[in-house]
Amino acid sequence: MNGLLLTTQQALQLLLYGDAELWSIVLLSFSVSLKAILLTTPVALLLAFGLHHGNFPGSRFILAFFNSLLSVPTVVVGLFLYVLLTRQGPFGDLKLLFTQSAMVIGQMFLCFPVLVALGYAAIQTADRRVWETARTLGAPTWFTILTIFYEVRFGLLAAVLTGFGRVISEVGISMMVGGNIMGYTRNITTAIALETSKGEFAQGIALGLVLLSLAFLLTAFLSYIQSKKRVTT
Amino acid sequence: MSEPLFVFHGIEKTFAEVEILRKVDLSLFPGKCILLTGKNGSGKTTLLKIIAGLEKPEKAEIELSGKSRCWKKFMPIIRKEIIYLHQQAFLFSGTVESNVAYGLRFTSLTREQRRESLKKALEWSGLTELAKQQANTLSGGVQQRVAFTRAWILKPKVLLLDEPVSNMDQESREQACLLMQQMKSSGMSIVITSHVPQYFDGLADVQYDLSNGQLLQ
Repeated sequence: MNGLLLTTQQALQLLLYGDAELWSIVLLSFSVSLKAILLTTPVALLLAFGLHHGNFPGSRFILAFFNSLLSVPTVVVGLFLYVLLTRQGPFGDLKLLFTQSAMVIGQMFLCFPVLVALGYAAIQTADRRVWETARTLGAPTWFTILTIFYEVRFGLLAAVLTGFGRVISEVGISMMVGGNIMGYTRNITTAIALETSKGEFAQGIALGLVLLSLAFLLTAFLSYIQSKKRVTT
Repeated sequence: MSEPLFVFHGIEKTFAEVEILRKVDLSLFPGKCILLTGKNGSGKTTLLKIIAGLEKPEKAEIELSGKSRCWKKFMPIIRKEIIYLHQQAFLFSGTVESNVAYGLRFTSLTREQRRESLKKALEWSGLTELAKQQANTLSGGVQQRVAFTRAWILKPKVLLLDEPVSNMDQESREQACLLMQQMKSSGMSIVITSHVPQYFDGLADVQYDLSNGQLLQ
């Protein structure tokens, strides 16, 4: 018990005194995951909108497919991407393996189904009259879609935050296609795994605290916007 | 009588193999008001939505300036000139002002002209005091007034009102009828659906009953 307290104390010291190595890992994690979520969100939400409003053959099957991908293990995505990016793989010439770009691509694969499935759930709560009112008032299709997104913004924001939570906390993809290279592809989760295997718990716990704080902040923010939604409706 | 703005020929619509509209013909004249009555499910709302270009008919022809074409050809003009208002006013999240100004951004008006139009529209409907209020916190009657103003500001040639005064108290109903009368006087063609024709005695010029998919005068 004393050991755990001592290690936590060391972890807090690392965090509070601005340990450069630790904070560079945190920064890299956020940079990679933010890029992944920002690149994926527009495409995924448009697809979610298309699945809901398009009413084309196979749309239900596609939605079911994305729903089933929600629980795909991250190591499976990592393995799939590794096979594609390895030197002998079909995209080996791109030399992306063990780069931040590979981590971004992998995390995009991971959050895409989350954004489509939760985006779809949010969009289907939109009143049919939003579309009709916008159209009859002369809005072009693209602005009508933006109006619908605005009307269900709380649900969409929840989808984006959930997607971000999924990618920032994954370890499988980052480990397999990032390679855990210090200063280049080492992020919070791969660093925790490495430090723990070395018996260096202080840095692991410090990074774990960052992730826990993030989870707490995301949940608090979600609760706040949900309560704001209740007030405004 | 003046020239019709739009003439709709042979509107046909089927839902789940049930014919809702059977070769319905309807002419819309400027400054005239048509009252549509009919039982629940008789197809009144569907007819209005087809006229507004929000619902696809199986078949329909539109005559405009002497030319008769398939409804699809005139869709851009219909979207520009005809506005449909729902039975229960639907307002976007935001203030009364932002709702009324919604459609102005799709016009060719300058920012200054838009501001001026907005001011005039709010004065026209007596909503100036409520301009900054959140639209969805207002009563049903005032929300309907906001929806009227949002349509009026765009100066459409045709206004389609689906049960515009249902669930309104007498005062709100009188206010709404006054606004409709002003819109009609300004030359707009108005089509109203209602279960209570008496509310529109002084407003409607002609009354049709939609029964078995056909319009009867």
